[in-house]
Amino acid sequence: MIHVFNYKNIYYVYDSGSGSLHECDKDTADYLKARYEGGVMPDFSAEKIAEIERDVQSLKDSGLLFKEEVKTYPIKSSEIKALCLHICHDCNLRCRYCFADEGAYHSKREFMSLETAKRAIDFLIEGSGNRKVLEVDFFGGEPLMCLDVIKEVVAYARREGDRAGKKFLFTTTTNALLLDDDAIDFFNREMENVVLSLDGRQEVHDAIRKTKNGKGSFAYVIENIKKFVRSRGDKSYYVRGTFTSKNLDFSKDVIFLAENGFDSISMEPVVTEIDELAIKEEHIPEILSEYERLCDKYLEKYDGGEGFNFFHFNIDLEGGVCLQKKVSACGAGNEYFSVVPNGDIYPCHQFAGDKNFLMGSVYTGELDKKIRERFAENCLFTRKRCGDCFAKFICSGGCSANNYHFTGDMNEPYPITCDMMKKRIECGMHVLAHKKESKKTSQ
Amino acid sequence: MLKTISAPRDKKVTGCGECRSTCQSACKTSCTVGNQSCERITREQNPEKNK
Repeated sequence: MIHVFNYKNIYYVYDSGSGSLHECDKDTADYLKARYEGGVMPDFSAEKIAEIERDVQSLKDSGLLFKEEVKTYPIKSSEIKALCLHICHDCNLRCRYCFADEGAYHSKREFMSLETAKRAIDFLIEGSGNRKVLEVDFFGGEPLMCLDVIKEVVAYARREGDRAGKKFLFTTTTNALLLDDDAIDFFNREMENVVLSLDGRQEVHDAIRKTKNGKGSFAYVIENIKKFVRSRGDKSYYVRGTFTSKNLDFSKDVIFLAENGFDSISMEPVVTEIDELAIKEEHIPEILSEYERLCDKYLEKYDGGEGFNFFHFNIDLEGGVCLQKKVSACGAGNEYFSVVPNGDIYPCHQFAGDKNFLMGSVYTGELDKKIRERFAENCLFTRKRCGDCFAKFICSGGCSANNYHFTGDMNEPYPITCDMMKKRIECGMHVLAHKKESKKTSQ
Repeated sequence: MLKTISAPRDKKVTGCGECRSTCQSACKTSCTVGNQSCERITREQNPEKNK
């Protein structure tokens, strides 16, 4: 299928079957939109239509337009490739929107013992089959509240990985409150990626991300994050913000982060049941316009030699992952699991603490077959609503947990999430086109 | 006028499973495979990654 869209009077056609992006003039866009997406056919002369059809046919012949979409179901492996290790269910902040119940996951505040963490590493290695590269994300609560355990777990995993012929890639997600020199040094040596939570402008951050005493945490974390980023070199990190209905002007927060020296940024819509913070249908028009504003500012920075990486505007249409990956959904509950402090296993961090999704324990190594099969069956083609969406091979059907929490069905995407995703993808495609044009011009 | 901006390169690898887990990225809620790369091809092009 094709998707015809325009970004401020620049017209694009994306072909989902081939994964190709084309730019076109308004007449071609109007004609294609009317003919293939429904609508009123423009009053063009026969000659004009023939000209457009010739261009279309030429791309069709090259396999770049109206290419049939491959409907092959993914081959599901039973190899485990990644764990989200909830190294502690406690946090030194009390962020209002926290999906994890301010670190406690609707249960008691607790820390993972070294023994449980080692069992989790053993569970991952044993379940990984022939896979060589394994991933562990230290998650919480706030992982830096137990840095000593993390250090020992990393050393253990490296040692056991060497024995088993596995390479570990570690990530830590942190609020940066305890990000001191020792932690920075350790992260730079051992972490493939570090995700640092910072919501943007001080007033936005402080309104939500508060200390236990109810004070805003911005002043405590900003210098730690700056120091870390200065020391990071070319290793990967993301400064990750969350926007809520209280800051629908979140492009200002992204730009604020960029202007504070952070060149790798992500900004995600909040997932919360708190009514006054939740993203609702009525916010969508404003959010979609805001993504355009962000896209414009992002390209202004790029053109001015101050470009930065914004997670959702990176779309790789030339390389990217293979088709198998594109149709496989996120892998939660089958190749990716969360382990909570007592060693219980859940499909992912978003399901942690929900007893309906308790899959087993690292102490037995057994996984609930029914739950695993339910997740393993998940793929793009089980999400019926995705069938006629242009974005399906880019978003892969979205987040199973988000789908479940909003619609009650993992295979039923939440329309609000879809609207935002599609807009980000259109912006990402415009960014791709703009950067290519800029490179050509500068050569 | 139709001008191609971007088209996929031919790939040799498909379904090897060596790619990163989608959720281990920056978002943890807004997963997308559209910005991921093929790990095997990346490693082939950058042998440092194999170490």
